[in-house]
Amino acid sequence: MGFELRDHTADIAVEATGESLADVFASLADGLAAASCEDIPADTGERFSLSVTAENREALLFDYLDELIYLRDVRAELPVDHHVETIDGVDADADAATDVSANPATEQWSLTATARGIPLTEIDAREVKAVTYSEMQLEYVDEQWEAYVVFDV
Amino acid sequence: MSNVTFDADGITLEQVREYVWEIPQEGDMRVPARVLASEALLEEIKEDKTLEQITNTTHLPGITTNAICMPDGHQGYGFPVGGVGALDAEHGCLSPGAVGYDINCGVRMMRTNLTYDELKGQEAELVDALFANIPSGLGGGGVVEVGVDTVDEILARGVDWALENGHAVEEDLLHCEDEGMREGADPEKVSQKAKDRGKNQIGSLGSGNHFLEVQRVTDVFDDEVGEAFGLEEDQIVVLIHCGSRGLGHQTCNDYLRKIEQQHQGLLDQLPDKELAAAPAGSQLAEDYYGAMNAAINFAWVNRQLIMHRTRQVFERVFDRSWESMDMHLLYDVAHNIAKKEMHTVEGEERELYVHRKGATRAFPAGHPEVPKAYRDVGQPVIIPGSMGTGSYVLRGGENSMDLTFGSTAHGAGRLMSRTQAKNEFWGGDVQDELEEQEQIYVKAQSGATVAEEAPGVYKDVDEVVRVSDELGIGDKVARTFPVCNIKG
Repeated sequence: MGFELRDHTADIAVEATGESLADVFASLADGLAAASCEDIPADTGERFSLSVTAENREALLFDYLDELIYLRDVRAELPVDHHVETIDGVDADADAATDVSANPATEQWSLTATARGIPLTEIDAREVKAVTYSEMQLEYVDEQWEAYVVFDV
Repeated sequence: MSNVTFDADGITLEQVREYVWEIPQEGDMRVPARVLASEALLEEIKEDKTLEQITNTTHLPGITTNAICMPDGHQGYGFPVGGVGALDAEHGCLSPGAVGYDINCGVRMMRTNLTYDELKGQEAELVDALFANIPSGLGGGGVVEVGVDTVDEILARGVDWALENGHAVEEDLLHCEDEGMREGADPEKVSQKAKDRGKNQIGSLGSGNHFLEVQRVTDVFDDEVGEAFGLEEDQIVVLIHCGSRGLGHQTCNDYLRKIEQQHQGLLDQLPDKELAAAPAGSQLAEDYYGAMNAAINFAWVNRQLIMHRTRQVFERVFDRSWESMDMHLLYDVAHNIAKKEMHTVEGEERELYVHRKGATRAFPAGHPEVPKAYRDVGQPVIIPGSMGTGSYVLRGGENSMDLTFGSTAHGAGRLMSRTQAKNEFWGGDVQDELEEQEQIYVKAQSGATVAEEAPGVYKDVDEVVRVSDELGIGDKVARTFPVCNIKG
C-alpha cells in the first residue's frame, strides 16, 4: 500500500496501491506531493477540504488530481498528507469486474477529501504542470486497487 | 524509397531518402508516419514510445500527408514531443492533446551589443541580480500580479497590452510571431479557474526545463543571415524559455475533459485518450481555438515581461540604459501550438490546423507570414540546448514547406528520465563543474532541478541541428554558449 515514483522520459509517473478506492486516490495524491517536493515538513500548514464530482471513476481521479494542482496555484500552498474521506458512485468500492455501468456518461461520481497545505514560501517545490490521461490505469487486481498516473512536469 | 530499413523493436522504418524514414500505413492508420533523423538519433528515439506515439497520431481524422516526428522527438503523452500533425481545418479536427499542456511554450532571444569580454568578471553579480529579479519556481509570483479584468485584456490583446503598460516598445511587436497578438483569441472561452491560476504568474519562468540564459555567440555559420539577424561572434545575447504557466495547463485539461464528455465517439476511434480532438466545425473546436489563441497571447506577454525586466537588470548591473546596450528582441518562437495555415498539398491550397508540439515553425525566405524584417532571409528559429551545451539560431529552410508543413526541431530532446538524472547527478556538483570547467554560472531554486536538467540528460543538440540543416528545413545560422543560467 502506498506509492512509488516511476521513470518517464520527459515526465513523472506515480504508481500506487490501496485497499480501497479512497486509499489509492490518496496515495496517488501523496505521490504528486512527493514528485513536487523531496523534503516535506511534518507539521507546518493547515488542513483544508475539497470536493470533486465527475462522470466516471477515472474522470473522478483525473479531476481530483487536477483540482489539487489548481488549489496549489491559487492557495500558494502545496497540498500534502491526503485523506480521501468519501467516494460515492456506482459500486464505488467493488472490484472493477462487477462495475459495468450502463451509461457511464450520465453517472455522477463524487469525492470529498482533505489535505494539509504547506505555504510554497516555506519549501523548495517544483512545478508539476498537469495530470494526464496518458497510460492511466485504475484497476482492481488481487483484492486491491492499483493505479498508474503520468504527470506533466 | 530505398531498400534500407531500420528495425526498432517491432516497428520497421523504411528509408525514403537520407534522414527521412517512413512507417508505412497499415490498419487504422490514415497516412504513413515519418521520422526525420540520422541513424544515431533513431537509436535514441526507438528507446521509448516515440514511434508508437507518432504512429497513433496518424489515426486522427483529417491528418494530411504524414504525421512527422522531428529529429529531437521523444515520448510525450498522446502526441510525441517533436511531433507535427497537419489536420484538415474543414473535415479534420483540432486536438488540445496535440498542442500540449503548456500552450505556446516557446523561446525568445534578445540581442545586446555587449561582448563576452565586457561581461567577464561580472557573471556572478549578473546571475545573482537576474535570479533575484526574475520570478521563478513554484509560488514565486510574477513581474506583475493583476486582477482577472487585466488577465482578460492580456488574453485578448497580447503584447499590445504590454506596450500600453510600459513593458514593451513598438519594435518588440515587429519581431514577434503575429506581432505578439493572435487573432481570434477569445478570453471568454478560458475558464475562471485558468484565469485564477494565471493572474499571479504573469512574468514568471516556472520550473522544470524552463530557464533564462545569458549566452555568448561562439559561431556565425552564415554571415549574410547572421547580419540580418544582428548576430556576430562574441556578442552577448539572452535566451528566455517558458510558456503560459498555470493558465495554459488548466486550459488544456479543461478542454480534454470537455472533449471526453462531448465527443466520446471520436475519442473511441483513437488509440490514446490523450490524442483527444474536437471535430473541425464543432462548437468545441471553435471554443478551444479561441481559448488556445488567448493562452498564446498570455505566453507572449509572459516572455515579454521577463525580457523587459531583464533589460532593467542589465541597466543596474552595467550602469547604462538598455537602449545604449541595444537590447532588442531578435525573435520569439512558439513550440507548443496549433495554427490555421494555408499549405499546398498535392498541388491544392488547403487550410490546415498545423499542430506543432515540441516543434518550431520554420517558414522560408519570402513567406508572407515571416515578419518584414526577416522576409528576405527566412524566419529565425531558436533551438535551445542544455545548460552545458550550445544553443542554435537557425532560419527557416527552403524545403520546410514540402517536408514538414514549415517546421523543424525545438531543442535537444530529453534522453534520460528525471528520476534517473537525480540518481546520476548531484545538483551541487553539476553547478560547480559548470562554473569551474566551463565558466557557466548557474543559479536555481532547487538543486534537484539542476540535476534533472544536467547536460547529460539531453540528446546531442549538434546532431539534431545537423540533420535539420542537411534536410534544408532549418539552416544553421549561429551557435551560442551559456554564460549565466537561472531556473526554477
